[in-house]
Amino acid sequence: MTRAEREERDGYLFVSPWMAGFLLFILYPLLASLYYAFCDYSVLRRPIWTGLDNFTTLFHDKVFWTSLYNTAYFAVFFLPASLVLSLALAMLLNAKVRGQAIYRTIFYLPSLLPLVATAVLFLWVFDGDNGVVNNLLKLGGFQGPGWLSDPAWTKFTIILLSLWGVGNTMIIYLASLQEVPESLYEAAELDGARAWERLKAVTLPMISPVILFNTLMGIIGALQVFTVPFVMFPGGQPADSTYFYTAYLYDNAFKYHNMGYACAMGWVMFLIILVLTLISRQLSEKHVYYGGG
Amino acid sequence: MAQSHVRKRAAKVAATHLTMILLSIVFLIPLFWLVTTAIKPLPETVAQPPVWWPKHPQWDNFTKAFVYDSDRLGYIPFLYYTRNTLLLCWLNVMGTVLSNALAAYAFARLKWRGREIFFLVTLATMMVPFPVLMVPLYGIFREIGWVGTLRPLWVPAFFGSAFNIFLLRQFFRTIPFELSEAATIDGAGEWQIFASLIVPLAKPALGVVALFTFLGTWTDFLGPLIYLIQQKTFTLSLGLQFYQSQNGGSEWNLLMAATTIVVLPVVVLFFFTQRLLIQGITLTGLKG
Amino acid sequence: MSLRAGLGIGIAIAGTAGAAIWAELIMVPEDTGNVVHVTYWEKWTAFERDAMKAVVDKYNATQGKQKHIFVDFMPVSGIEDKTIVAISGEMPPDIAGLSTLSLAAFADNDAIVPLDDYCRQYRIKESDYVPIYWRQMVYGGHVFALPTTPDSNSLHYNRTEFRAAGLDPDKPPQTFEEMDAMSEKLTKKDSQGRYIQFGFIPSDPGWWNWGWGYFFGGELWNGSDKITCNSPENVQGFEWVAGYSHRYGPSQINSFKSGFVFASPTNGFISGKEAMQLQGVWMYNFISKFNSKLDWAAAPMPHPANRPDLADMTFADSDNVVIPVGAKHPKEAFDFIAFLQRQENMELLCMGQRKQSPLAKVSEAFLKNHPNPFIRLFTDLPKGRNGKTPPMLGIVNEYMADLNEAFDEVTLLRKTPKEALDDVQARVQEKLDHYRWIMKLRKGSRR
Repeated sequence: MTRAEREERDGYLFVSPWMAGFLLFILYPLLASLYYAFCDYSVLRRPIWTGLDNFTTLFHDKVFWTSLYNTAYFAVFFLPASLVLSLALAMLLNAKVRGQAIYRTIFYLPSLLPLVATAVLFLWVFDGDNGVVNNLLKLGGFQGPGWLSDPAWTKFTIILLSLWGVGNTMIIYLASLQEVPESLYEAAELDGARAWERLKAVTLPMISPVILFNTLMGIIGALQVFTVPFVMFPGGQPADSTYFYTAYLYDNAFKYHNMGYACAMGWVMFLIILVLTLISRQLSEKHVYYGGG
Repeated sequence: MAQSHVRKRAAKVAATHLTMILLSIVFLIPLFWLVTTAIKPLPETVAQPPVWWPKHPQWDNFTKAFVYDSDRLGYIPFLYYTRNTLLLCWLNVMGTVLSNALAAYAFARLKWRGREIFFLVTLATMMVPFPVLMVPLYGIFREIGWVGTLRPLWVPAFFGSAFNIFLLRQFFRTIPFELSEAATIDGAGEWQIFASLIVPLAKPALGVVALFTFLGTWTDFLGPLIYLIQQKTFTLSLGLQFYQSQNGGSEWNLLMAATTIVVLPVVVLFFFTQRLLIQGITLTGLKG
Repeated sequence: MSLRAGLGIGIAIAGTAGAAIWAELIMVPEDTGNVVHVTYWEKWTAFERDAMKAVVDKYNATQGKQKHIFVDFMPVSGIEDKTIVAISGEMPPDIAGLSTLSLAAFADNDAIVPLDDYCRQYRIKESDYVPIYWRQMVYGGHVFALPTTPDSNSLHYNRTEFRAAGLDPDKPPQTFEEMDAMSEKLTKKDSQGRYIQFGFIPSDPGWWNWGWGYFFGGELWNGSDKITCNSPENVQGFEWVAGYSHRYGPSQINSFKSGFVFASPTNGFISGKEAMQLQGVWMYNFISKFNSKLDWAAAPMPHPANRPDLADMTFADSDNVVIPVGAKHPKEAFDFIAFLQRQENMELLCMGQRKQSPLAKVSEAFLKNHPNPFIRLFTDLPKGRNGKTPPMLGIVNEYMADLNEAFDEVTLLRKTPKEALDDVQARVQEKLDHYRWIMKLRKGSRR
């Protein structure tokens, strides 16, 4: 066996667990899901081919559109907000001041809470009359809205409390910020660049791959938002304003026994993510700077 | 000139601190509520107007939360949940680190036919949302009789996942190839190079993968929700729901006390590892 | 490889293998000797669970002991979803405590075992039960469940507030028109124009949002293939509900009730902030726990002035126990279920849960010793001709979800009752047609 052949063999050997995992836990389920999407499939029975039925039902299922709208709404507002907030926090945490370990822990802490607890906690924090937020607003002389009861506000509430848990994105930003060479800032400062200009000319370009990465992961994550609304608003109340895509999918699969329908929904979601990813890649082409790596 | 520079720097530091302290307060208010609720007597948890600090802190809520319902169940659910969660965390961390390091090594440092294509495919799998796979995965595990066991929640970790492979591959590529060359000349095989050269050098990156996996398993809700059946096998994130009754009479204070007990060790863990975590990510050079 | 590295790897492998084995051991059932262990899952918590636990303990100590059967009683959260998952995972409990709403869907999915033969064997028959509860155990001509505890509801009102508003505390409203007038008198504002008390809020507690049409003579379906939720009567019911939002303002109502937590002293009725509330038989229990001084009474819900035939309406449904398909010990499970159906045991359970009994025969002692002063009302209302239950439909959960959504839209004044119910009608009718088509398809193909 030549060296190249050995290397080839070792390559396959090393990658084989993942190859198996890919086939078993991703490719097969993906294709099976595509097949089920064209079937009636309850948990307890074999799938029965029903053609396009699930999709035609889907496209004029009002709740499907509501849940899609809710999810899109969440993503559109949450994603930019979370990207900006986590970057801002990361920049603060990157400053050379004492006590960063404590600040980092504080800002990351919410991401460590079990989501069930977060959800219940925020039921109090945002309660209309009794909640912490509205009582603080009252001190300032404002009448707070019905965070949990007014359909115009409920999604905003979920966005706010999701922003509370941006820890992971923040940490990834922080790591990338630490990699930006100090000399670049010094050079910019010597050129008389102000803080805002330094951000635009040095920081953002240098960490642009990470921004793209966080954006892509953010899109995928935001479209799958599930646990917090599922625990806080079990039926998507009020008026389905908090009924998100994954929750409706879960309900169809495990509550209404329509697994085929759930698979159709899953594939629609997959296609949406695919398209969004391609678009963001296209858009970012010009703006992302890949150093030597 | 120099003095004004120093003053400016001091002002900047003060401003940074001030901003961060204010933000910290915003971040901590809900947590304050969590902890104070944990030591309130039940009526005060829903009292109007809200009680900020209980008149008589109920420290025994922590012991109550710990042994919650154990007399009825015949076992201490909290201990079971903790044990199950820690088992899953451990198995997931080990499985993830091992399988992904292997795959990343193959992608980063070995030449084999189909490598580039399969790497692209691997990256593409990051875009597959879990809900698409949920139903068929459930079907697979049901066919082989794994639903209701802990297996669906840890066995897949031993088969790798795209994000971690990507992270580790980036890092493995930064290790000079001359090192491997030298080892090969000394007669070392790929396994040896992997185990005694790459893995020790990659500790920071592996640490990041381990920590992310730990936290991911720690907070996972949907997986346990689908696969676990018996209360005894529940994890903390799912088990905490048990404190919350569906038809009234929830013992909120105990739920919050339990949450506090759960979260405290992780917070301490994070406090001491955050520097390593950030260094680790920096070293992996998370780039396209 | 250095010794240290080798040692580290060795420990890691051993630790992982150990953890994997441990994770497996969690699943191994304990050896139970010659006693058959029946697993029984229930949704209840707190005192309701204790009440069933008492019956289970009694069984285990007597009949179970003789027959070498032991019932393991386990509380389970999210019981419907968990049971389905367990059945499909082929490790179901032997008994599961479900509700009326899930029975049809479970039966349609072949998830539960028909109990007809067992009932014959143990001589359990229709005439043993109050008809309305029995009807909820039968689906497609088969008995699929037997009752545990039922509930029914009625108008709860605060006698002190009635007096304060110049109303006769012994004369609760007979008609909805009277109720609206009384409600107006019972609603108070403070000097700044903020509501401090309400006569009635249709959306609190909001557990029977699907039912308002029944009070006005509506039905939710025709019993076979037609959804009828936008019938004029049903629209009228929602219009009556919307009237409260029109009069008092949806946001005012919402902010008023936002601090209420049901099982607590802040409950709107218990704290005296809502003078009237539609509530179930369990309400007594919470009143005595959180505000025992409250001077209250329960009476049948009113009816429209022009429809005296709709008097004494109540929504009555019964929780039940079923045997899932794939249960390991169905025979032993039914032995316990039959034990539970005996009058003395059923009364022990219902007394413990502070509810009425589903059985046709009720002992006088039960009614006399029952702590709820209005137990006779809750026992008798469901026996009348206007006892109502949610439809026994496979898609009833989707239907209820849609009606709840429509109810929200209506109370928030975002849609008119007609619009909201037309939407539900169109969607659910289509769902039902589709469901029936699927059922036919499934019959044609084997499981």
